[in-house]
Amino acid sequence: MNTSLCIKTEGLTKVFGSVQALRELDLKVKSGSRFGLLGPNGAGKTTTVRILSGLLKQTSGTGAVCGYDIATQRDAIKAATGLLPETPGLYSKLSAVEFLEFIGALNGRNREALHRRINRLLAILGLEGRQDDLLESYSSGMKQKVLIASTLLHDPQLVFLDEPTSRLDPAASALIKDLILILAEETETSFFICTHITSFAEDVCDVIGILNEGRLVIVSSPQQIVESMGVKDLEEAYLRIVGGKVEGRALLAWR
Amino acid sequence: MEVAEMVRKWLEIAKAEFFVLTARFKAQRKFFMSIMIILGVLWAAYFAPLLVGLVMDALIPLTQIRVLLQVMFPGFMRAVMLFLWMFFLLIPLSHALAEVKIGQWEILLANDVNTRDILVGTFLGKVPTYTLYVLFLAPLLLAPFQLAFQVSFLGQLLIYTVLTLMMLTTIWLSNVVGAAIQAKLGDSPRGNDIAKTIAMLMGLITIVPVLGLQLFASQLSAILGMNVFLAFPFTWSADLVSWLAITFNGISLTASQIANFQSILQLDLLANGLLVTLFGVACVGIGFLSTERLFTYGIGVRTETIRTVRHENLILQGLYKISPSSFGLIIVTSLKTLFRKVQNLAKIAMALTLALILPVLVVLVYGQRYSLMLSSLLPVTSYGLAFMGVLIFSGTTFLESQNQLWIVKSAPHGASRFVKALIVIAFLIALPLSLIPTIEITVMMGLELFQFLGLFANNYFIVCGAALLGTGITSLNPNYEDTKSPAHQKNMMTAMMICLFVTMGGPLLLSIITKRIIGVPFETIMASLGIVGEGVAQGIITTTSLLVIGGLLVLVGIRRLGRPDA
Repeated sequence: MNTSLCIKTEGLTKVFGSVQALRELDLKVKSGSRFGLLGPNGAGKTTTVRILSGLLKQTSGTGAVCGYDIATQRDAIKAATGLLPETPGLYSKLSAVEFLEFIGALNGRNREALHRRINRLLAILGLEGRQDDLLESYSSGMKQKVLIASTLLHDPQLVFLDEPTSRLDPAASALIKDLILILAEETETSFFICTHITSFAEDVCDVIGILNEGRLVIVSSPQQIVESMGVKDLEEAYLRIVGGKVEGRALLAWR
Repeated sequence: MEVAEMVRKWLEIAKAEFFVLTARFKAQRKFFMSIMIILGVLWAAYFAPLLVGLVMDALIPLTQIRVLLQVMFPGFMRAVMLFLWMFFLLIPLSHALAEVKIGQWEILLANDVNTRDILVGTFLGKVPTYTLYVLFLAPLLLAPFQLAFQVSFLGQLLIYTVLTLMMLTTIWLSNVVGAAIQAKLGDSPRGNDIAKTIAMLMGLITIVPVLGLQLFASQLSAILGMNVFLAFPFTWSADLVSWLAITFNGISLTASQIANFQSILQLDLLANGLLVTLFGVACVGIGFLSTERLFTYGIGVRTETIRTVRHENLILQGLYKISPSSFGLIIVTSLKTLFRKVQNLAKIAMALTLALILPVLVVLVYGQRYSLMLSSLLPVTSYGLAFMGVLIFSGTTFLESQNQLWIVKSAPHGASRFVKALIVIAFLIALPLSLIPTIEITVMMGLELFQFLGLFANNYFIVCGAALLGTGITSLNPNYEDTKSPAHQKNMMTAMMICLFVTMGGPLLLSIITKRIIGVPFETIMASLGIVGEGVAQGIITTTSLLVIGGLLVLVGIRRLGRPDA
């Protein structure tokens, strides 16, 4: 079993004006693992991903991703990782193949080296019949699949997925789930997944961290979290930790 | 009860529209708008006529040009009204189309809002902002004639009432047409693209009468004085204003003078008043009657047509063969996104049209003399080309959203390679963009081959310099597809000002500097070089300045864009 770390942070903090988005994050993620970061909206999940992927400067603290320093070796981190952003930024006037060629080229790959990989990825994701259609005609789910393909294209050691299944139908979500599991198993690719969907995290991730108001509240396996909280599933444990469970009568108080 | 609810709905929509239009003033919007309207009334009633009177007296005393102003008044008023009509028709339409609002309609219609309430609400929400335009803009255009005719207070009041009614009718019409176009296009990337293209073309059409007013006021007045224009609504409003100024004059116009105006204007005060009223009533009626049809929209362009990419064209294939690296691939894909957007093609066509019109205007005004070409045509064409470069190569052309920027930045050295690819593309596109106006000037002026080559080099490097400038400024302050965003407006303004300074203001600054340092003004040094030498020196100074400033901005921009966000 691989015992090296793909992510290590100490006291990572991010402040936007008067808002403290991330507080003293101490995190260790093993290589080859599937780490799930759960948390309510505004908890600091996307901020964490952006700092770790070299897109955002931390206010204080240190960290390393794939062995590279997050403050000084950002380009090396970008080369070693793939990122699926929370909101898709696709080029509406490119086809799926052309968009993936563009992303591959930004990562230093030329067309010949990319073609076979693009075709295979699109076939796995069920887009082979529509690969030459402009992305403006794609549904949200299809766009998400193209973005997921773009994160895997340059064979990264670590993949950051920010809400990967938020726009997908159940069948496509199951496909992404299987793809993550098989990639982690066969290629030792590590995954860092931010999600709201506790069932998805429970099925896919071997370690889960719950972030609330910028602070990492708990890190453990899904099973251990459920057991330690004495609840029946991860959703209940999550609601216990971050709050947000509203009683039935209160739900109708607005009427 | 029902009536009260109906009233509240259109009022709420009007409030929301007003809040959107005045969003930049946030909580102070009501206070700010009240102050602006008070200032506008004072400006229109007192300060504008006073200021215009002082300026006119300083230039040419009113007594000397009173007769001239009176003679040109009816024709000029039609030109002014044509401009105002286009402004109020096309600018709100252009703003509305820059952001397709089908999603907002869906929310309103789902809440059982009457379609007429939507139309009335969105119209009324626009009125306060556009009233300010009338109050601040119209007095500047009308004051010289009000002074020439010494129009009474009642006359002025009636003139501004006509102007306000004209504005309200035109904005209403613009609102109805905007709703129809948006409903037809639907909310989709393709619909948005087409809507933005139409919005851009509307802007261009509005510029035409302004250019006409600035350069050919007398010719335009003569053309608009023709009887055929009696069929256009702007003529009725213009002639009504003319008649009000004549009727309420304080200079005791004689019966023969009034008969003279009658022969020019053809229709009398009453007939024009009736036509303006009928047109207003017809516009409101048609708008109301067609609301149900206007707001019935299709499922949208996205699902109606699916565009499939076939084969790459020969130019793109050739480019990739020349540079078969990953960088070549970035250039090829960026070119595809550029040319597949209708709004980008419209932008290029619009910029090229302006670059082609400017030399024609200069030759029409100054004649075909070679010496004048160098002193007048070169700076004007240079500014036109620089304007074109900035317009095309500012950020809106390449990045649709900040999320795209995140994707580009998430690749190692992604931002730097992306910006460099954009520069290569800009230099490629600059070739035809500078060649076409150069050929036009060469043919018009009958230039020799070496003159053609010199002019082409000048024009090419001007476009390249402006493209560097536009790209550099946008890299420092990224802006995306939203042309209404403060970032976009700031970037365009900065780039335009630098272009204007380098192409037109640069020689003035050099004159001051050389006079201070060596005691000889720059223009004396230039004149000593002869006509050709002066032209060449001027070209070299302008292109070098633009290339150096643009290049430096790109370098700083790449560094800034490559850094992680703070």
